[in-house]
Amino acid sequence: MTIYAPDRVLAASNWVGRRAPRKEDARHLYGRARFLDDLPFEGGAIAILRSPHPHARIVSVDTSRALADPRVLAVVTGEDVRRETSPVASRSVTAPVTQYVMAVDKVRWVGEPVVAIAAVDMFAAKDALDLVDVEYEPLPSVADVDAALAGDAPLIYDDIDSNVLVHDEIAHGPMAQAFDDAAFVVRETYRVGRFSSTPLEPYALTVAYDANNEVYDVVANDQQPARSIGNITKALGVPTANVRLSVPESGGSFGIKLAIWPYALIGCLLAKRAGRPLKWIQTRTEHMLGGTHTPDVKMEMELPVGADGKILAMRLRSKENDGAFIHTAGIYGLIKFATAVGPYTIGAASIDLMSVVTNRGPVVQNRGVGKPAMTFALERSVDRAARRLGMDPAEFRLRNMVPPEAMPYTTPAGEIYESGDYPETMRRALELGRYREFREKQAVARAEGRLLGIGLSAGIEPGTSNIGYYSLLKGTTDYNGSSEGAVVGIEVDGQVTVRTGSVDTGQGHETTICQVVADMLGITPEDISFDTFFDSTRSPYTGQSGAYSNRFNDVEVGAVITATERVRAKVRTLAAYLLEAKEEDLVLGDRAVHVAGDASRSVAFGELAKVAYNKVVLLPPDMEPGLRVMAYYRNPMAKPPDRGDFNVQLTHSNSVHVVVVEVDKGTGMLDFLKYAIVHDCGRQLNPAVVEGMAIGSTVHGIGGALLEEFQYDDAANPLATSFQTYLKPVAQTVPRIELGHLESPCPYTLLGTKATGEGGSITSLAAIGNAVEDALSPYGVQVNSLPITPEKILRGIRDGAPV
Amino acid sequence: MTDLGTRTATPTVRVNGEDVTGEVPARMLLVHYLRENAGRTGVHVGCDSGNCGACTVLLDGAPVKSCMVLAAQASGREVTTVDGLDAPCVPALRRAFVEHAAIQCGYCTPGMLTNATALLRDDPHPDEDAIRAALKGNLCMCTGYQQIVDAVAAAAAEGEEASR
Ligand code: FES
Ligand code: FES
Repeated sequence: MTIYAPDRVLAASNWVGRRAPRKEDARHLYGRARFLDDLPFEGGAIAILRSPHPHARIVSVDTSRALADPRVLAVVTGEDVRRETSPVASRSVTAPVTQYVMAVDKVRWVGEPVVAIAAVDMFAAKDALDLVDVEYEPLPSVADVDAALAGDAPLIYDDIDSNVLVHDEIAHGPMAQAFDDAAFVVRETYRVGRFSSTPLEPYALTVAYDANNEVYDVVANDQQPARSIGNITKALGVPTANVRLSVPESGGSFGIKLAIWPYALIGCLLAKRAGRPLKWIQTRTEHMLGGTHTPDVKMEMELPVGADGKILAMRLRSKENDGAFIHTAGIYGLIKFATAVGPYTIGAASIDLMSVVTNRGPVVQNRGVGKPAMTFALERSVDRAARRLGMDPAEFRLRNMVPPEAMPYTTPAGEIYESGDYPETMRRALELGRYREFREKQAVARAEGRLLGIGLSAGIEPGTSNIGYYSLLKGTTDYNGSSEGAVVGIEVDGQVTVRTGSVDTGQGHETTICQVVADMLGITPEDISFDTFFDSTRSPYTGQSGAYSNRFNDVEVGAVITATERVRAKVRTLAAYLLEAKEEDLVLGDRAVHVAGDASRSVAFGELAKVAYNKVVLLPPDMEPGLRVMAYYRNPMAKPPDRGDFNVQLTHSNSVHVVVVEVDKGTGMLDFLKYAIVHDCGRQLNPAVVEGMAIGSTVHGIGGALLEEFQYDDAANPLATSFQTYLKPVAQTVPRIELGHLESPCPYTLLGTKATGEGGSITSLAAIGNAVEDALSPYGVQVNSLPITPEKILRGIRDGAPV
Repeated sequence: MTDLGTRTATPTVRVNGEDVTGEVPARMLLVHYLRENAGRTGVHVGCDSGNCGACTVLLDGAPVKSCMVLAAQASGREVTTVDGLDAPCVPALRRAFVEHAAIQCGYCTPGMLTNATALLRDDPHPDEDAIRAALKGNLCMCTGYQQIVDAVAAAAAEGEEASR
């Protein structure tokens, strides 16, 4: 099947593929953008009292002193939440655990909401937190998966008899055979710490309750409002139309802003009580405590390899520390099974996934979801295998990569790698990263006693979620992320308007969509008004609309194209009728329809729209009035849930990172001498936007590899609650990233596009780990965990301990 | 209620050339004063520990994190926010931010631009290391900094061109 049809879709080639300047930029450069806290607002403020204990029984909550403060408008406790909302529905957990959006009976993580207060302003709300009296009875707590799985571990959910929420094995291909045939097996245990993309703008929302219509009006910087509406209305037990959710400009999301809805729900309860609009702006400290994280994970990987240097299978046992929030528990383990074989022709794969509850904060999808850690484990093991064979790691990878002639290639689980030339990507990356030259330099450096290391990593970056992996556990098809909606219209003045069911959180959607529509209608991006303000009462969302899973380029653009095609078809039919011409003789350009070769015969878009909306008597007798079209689009490659044959995601970009580092023996610090990436994300709609995504996601990975970790002590008290103790990459410390492109059009998207927002996060961790281990090889130090801190490096150099 | 909670202050802060006066809680931070009392919502809040730079403004010409200053402390002083930047290098910086795709979500942009303005005003020809050092107090979670650094370098080069 081929969906790729640029010649059919595009009528001109003036904008698509160009570095068009972003339409979004001016408002930011003059401080005129309207993020949530910038919107006009009259009302009170919300502050949240959070648990100081990792695990404790709530003996009593007394809010009377707070309620006596005249500045306090309303108070909501966990008991209120239990009475007035239904419990949190987990997407994949079938065990009978009950949890609410606030602590009820007991607290399970430091930072869990215990009481929420609305007051006349922010100061008053925060002051009133001191007036709430909560008595806790501390309970034993656990911070990591091994402790949580120990026989005597305290139970975090009283309704089940272990701290395991999900445990499953998903296996495909002849595993036993692979182990029998193997010349050797690489076995290793890896750990990746908790980190997060920490969007610069934390969560923010306002809620107003309209008592006359019983409507909750929520404005939030939510990246998947479609799902939040479902969650909130279900929890409140009200019809869809009784919650309106809008999304203004948002200061970054990266998956982290998929978890705002619990706070919106708390806001709804408060706003109804307070009788006036309320605003909640999450503080950075609150964000670091629980707003939210990628799970830390322990992965045991086995890689049986044949004597000929072929990887025969991949077996992974992964234990995700999913903290204590059941909504998204299990996702990091589940999402990776279908692409766990990376870019290689590995014939058998098995993932034993375990979602473990601890007293750490909640987890939610973060840039790359599970695949960064998985790729770290695979690409570290691939390096080990190459070393075992005495083979150059580049050569070993080339030998195992899916060859271009095998495309489209189906992985053992059923994922379809649709196009790409993986070996060529590797070859070009080696060239761009000057791999051979650095190998020579490395020999010289080693002779001088310097620690120079070169790391490679090859990654697959999937896009557009089929989400059905949840269904594999539950046996139902509740969710699917492969559709999106759009409305495209031509207004009476000839202006083209576009709105979608999704949101933009910094990815340049407005610009890119305007480029596509411009070339479809022969106009310019300036002729188009794109509505950046999502509003559930008018935005054409589908159940899983939103900005996540690299789906924009595929289904959101697909929905806009589908709607625009229908508008265009109607425009042509109407113009042919009015001009008394044949449709096939018509061309579009300059906000008008022209008869080719006859300059005197044309009709402007505005005139067509006037006929369509106003002078409807002039329409062809059988034509419906109006020039606006709502269309929904889906990527048809999504397979229904089937454990034996399933594609988790629907498009696949690929990349190779080449990293050269030098480690300072004295300080354990490292310096990047080279960071080169060659990636293939299919056809690029706007290369400048794509580069920004590739570089930004890579720097996110650099943070996770070297700096960032939400550390906890053994009792699960958080140790990194601000940017003082949780270190982010800064301009001074990140390397310059050189980027090369291949363009293998995706056959399954209309314009041949593929994913581009997460690739760097997925592939970088392993490249850096491999480079550091290579640098430390004179000491025989292994890199098995992230982040790689100077302290760990120094310990490795001193006593050979693995990093 | 603590004393801190009730005490007020009435600062007069000169914001982009206009005096802004108001009675506010004494504990109010300058960043909130600028946003709420002066309507300068381009000044953003990204942390509560002075580590992100989203709130950067010029205070008597020097780049300062306005979340680390009380509104009362800024009384009688001059503040320039992103929308009031008027140094000669500013138009070139704005153009370069667009040309180099230095903006994604834009939340860090006002702080970055303000800091870059102070840099180019004081050092019109910074090399890449100097640019990266100058921007190290401004976190950007989206771009990985490279395109921002390139934009500042391009604006500096344009200034160099013009001064020849
Ligand atoms: S808000 Fe001022 S430095 Fe972060
Ligand atoms: S552009 Fe989003 S934080 Fe910099």
